[in-house]
Amino acid sequence: MRAETARYLASRLVTSALIVLGAMLLLFALSALVPGDPAVTLLGPQATPEFARQFIREMGLDRPLHERLWLFLTNVLTGNLGTDVLSGRPVAGMVLSVMPYTFVLTFGAIGLAVLLGVPLGVFAATHRGSLADNVLAFISVAFIAVPSFVVAILLLLVFSIWLNWLPVLGAGNADDLWDQARRLILPMAALAIGWVGFIARLVRSSMLEVMAEPHIRTMRAYGIPERLVTYKYALKNACIPTIALLGMGVGRLLGGAVLVEIVFARPGLGRLIFDALSVRNFPVVQGAVLVVVVLFVVVNLLVDLSYSAIDPRMRRGGAAK
Amino acid sequence: MTALRPLVQVLRQVCGTVPGALGFAIVLVVLGAAIFAPWVATHDPDRLDIMNRFAAPSAAHWLGTDHLGRDLYSRLVHGASIAMAVALSAIAAALTAGTLLGILAAWMPPRGEAAVLILFDVISSFPSLVLALAIVAVFGPSTFMVVVIAGITLTPHFGRVARAQVLTLRSAPFLEAERILGAGLPRIVFRHILPNIMGPLIVLASMDIPVVITIEAGLSFLGLGVRPPLASWGVLIQDGYQYLSDSWVPVVVSSAALAVATLGFTLFGEALRDAVDPRIRQER
Amino acid sequence: MTAPLVSIRGLTLEARTARGTARILSDIDLDIGRGRILGIVGESGSGKSSLASCLLRLLPANVTRLDGVVDFAGTNLLALDEPAMAAWRGTRIAMIFQDPMTALNPLFTIGTHLVDVIRRRTPGLPRRDALTRAEAMLERVAIADPAQRLASYPHELSGGMRQRVMIAMALLAGPELLLADEPTTALDATVEAQIVALLEELRRDIDGSIVFISHHLGLVAQLCDDICVMYGGTVVETGPVAEVLAAPRHPYTRALLACEIDQDDSGRLISIAGEVPDPIARPPGCVFAPRCDRAEPRCRSEAPVLRVVAPDRRSACHFAETLA
Repeated sequence: MRAETARYLASRLVTSALIVLGAMLLLFALSALVPGDPAVTLLGPQATPEFARQFIREMGLDRPLHERLWLFLTNVLTGNLGTDVLSGRPVAGMVLSVMPYTFVLTFGAIGLAVLLGVPLGVFAATHRGSLADNVLAFISVAFIAVPSFVVAILLLLVFSIWLNWLPVLGAGNADDLWDQARRLILPMAALAIGWVGFIARLVRSSMLEVMAEPHIRTMRAYGIPERLVTYKYALKNACIPTIALLGMGVGRLLGGAVLVEIVFARPGLGRLIFDALSVRNFPVVQGAVLVVVVLFVVVNLLVDLSYSAIDPRMRRGGAAK
Repeated sequence: MTALRPLVQVLRQVCGTVPGALGFAIVLVVLGAAIFAPWVATHDPDRLDIMNRFAAPSAAHWLGTDHLGRDLYSRLVHGASIAMAVALSAIAAALTAGTLLGILAAWMPPRGEAAVLILFDVISSFPSLVLALAIVAVFGPSTFMVVVIAGITLTPHFGRVARAQVLTLRSAPFLEAERILGAGLPRIVFRHILPNIMGPLIVLASMDIPVVITIEAGLSFLGLGVRPPLASWGVLIQDGYQYLSDSWVPVVVSSAALAVATLGFTLFGEALRDAVDPRIRQER
Repeated sequence: MTAPLVSIRGLTLEARTARGTARILSDIDLDIGRGRILGIVGESGSGKSSLASCLLRLLPANVTRLDGVVDFAGTNLLALDEPAMAAWRGTRIAMIFQDPMTALNPLFTIGTHLVDVIRRRTPGLPRRDALTRAEAMLERVAIADPAQRLASYPHELSGGMRQRVMIAMALLAGPELLLADEPTTALDATVEAQIVALLEELRRDIDGSIVFISHHLGLVAQLCDDICVMYGGTVVETGPVAEVLAAPRHPYTRALLACEIDQDDSGRLISIAGEVPDPIARPPGCVFAPRCDRAEPRCRSEAPVLRVVAPDRRSACHFAETLA
């Protein structure tokens, strides 16, 4: 691998580690800076005095700050994300049990968005200035502008309540794959819609830029069929900036997923955090948020790695003579 | 007065395209509703009328009533005020913080600059909603929190642009002249850098308004932002969502308001950017 | 002299720009001899690259007018519809571009580029066979370790090697007309010499005509049989290269020669006092009149026509006969 690329990836790793560390510190700071009696604020009014005392001891809330920080960090690094206040279950376990739902929703939505968005973007680029292109441009903006939870609610309204085509809420029976799939359709669509618009626009502008470049002119000068020029050559070049911006949008996507999960009452990281929030169950919030941050960082790293897969300039050595 | 002419010219260009004109129209409507809410609204948005809940649209209640009998139209109008207030506060905060950081980054030695840039990268790509949840978990929901969170999210935007502008200006000859004349840093910043930064920053600000509106709506929808009974659009959507089986009107109406507002500002912002950036102007 | 391979008559090209309509080519008359190398010389802005683009009909979207006749062995290229014209590209006409750095797609191997060109002639040829042919051609253009190079990406090759690859591409198309648009301008002087030597060696292999576009008179003198001098979107002089350079019949050609002789032939851009005419506001008379030291009032009002002034020699100057 090229020295530059290796250095770049190393710096990305460092940044990622810093982000995770930063998030951990921030979460710790939040729990430490809570105004008033920490136990009452974090546990909420439903905690009994005994439980509060036990909690304080366990969490080490009666110990000095730096000791608490150390305890927190070591716990996290060994996989111990704390214990749920209400149920007593380990937070890590709770998070792990709902993660698959969020994964399926999020990556399914991305997949759907790419499947629809890329062809639309290519079409718009190859038919630049046409009516279809302008209509598509407007629709893309519309899709991007409307927040996904609003789309989710409207879809829910139309397809579940009015038309009664698809089931309303929840993730479905764990044993029934078909049922689960049916219940995925609307949430995935809600998440995907905004992204279809985003990807279509991105692909369109990347393609337009690429198609104006000299190497595409070379292909045309040799009479290579336009079909090949567009789909074999230009599209690959256009992927690079597209992936870059997709990577940057992962954060927004996760936010959208949280809201969609809540609208459709689906289990998942978002719901977990939200439900815990409503009852002031801070350990769960803390643990789940941390996991989300780690996931986010990992996805970003993967996106960066995928560059080397696509762009050979990042892989091998420099020019030979 | 001379500053007004380019403004008029830009606006004319914006309205020259269909999306731009549409966006501008929507922006005017929303701003009008926001500013003149007490006069535009027909009822007191907080006035309960339980007997009249879920009333259909009528002459008395243009868009009907919600689950507590409050006039939907009036609540929508006040929602516009809230959305605009939050958006403008958050943007003002981000503008200030971002500009300061950006200028700082441009003037600092490479290490410091790199640190600021990394900070920008982290903030801009971070799942802000998720962290917002964590913050709210501790400090409790409030409108102020929404402004803070939105402000933080937007700061890198402004910071990067400010930094870029400072970098290009730094080598400009007239700045060299000023420095030779012994002008101090504050004078240079206020007399030269800021006026030149304002243009692109204003375009950026108008493009960021829909972002803030969306963040606020999302958080308020979850009950983590603007607290009811304040009539934020997010709160209205949540109310409508809860009582979806009773009436679909509140949800649809408030969702439409949110969607149209964000769409309008996005269209306007993009048309504004296209009108101001000469490179793009040529491409058309 | 046998009939020319390509006969251009009255070629006019106009395009829409931000400032107005630009007249890029005005009424071009030109013949490209069969089996001969024609050098087209001129400053930047003379329209020589646009001329090549017209032959391939690979023009930008802002073109508003393309008139005239380009007779290529009996077919008027300008009258063909797009699919018919596309069939000619990469088979009967091929082009080598100026900047090898950007002319190849960085995400694809040399082999992939060449295979697609080979498949223009032999559609559906299996990749392995195509690669074999490609390898042979890479060897022919003196690229070391051709098998390895096929699997390389453009950024892994030096500028000179990339240009050799472009030449190999053009040869693989087996064209009757090869257009070389300033193929050495972006290269170092030593590499430039190598490429020119390669072209000289290969002309025997190329069963067709070559058009070599350059601003470097020395190279054209070395490589070409015929020369065409362009200025301000018009042809000002044509003829066999040795004759034209020995006894130019147009003031511009004279000025060019004078520049070349005064400089040390390092390939630097030629410079003559004055500026290249603005394509949007072409003067009514002779295009060169503003910069010509022999200009007379007639030159500024009446545009000279490209006419025969000696056997095989044409010039667009009112005083061509008296210039010798």
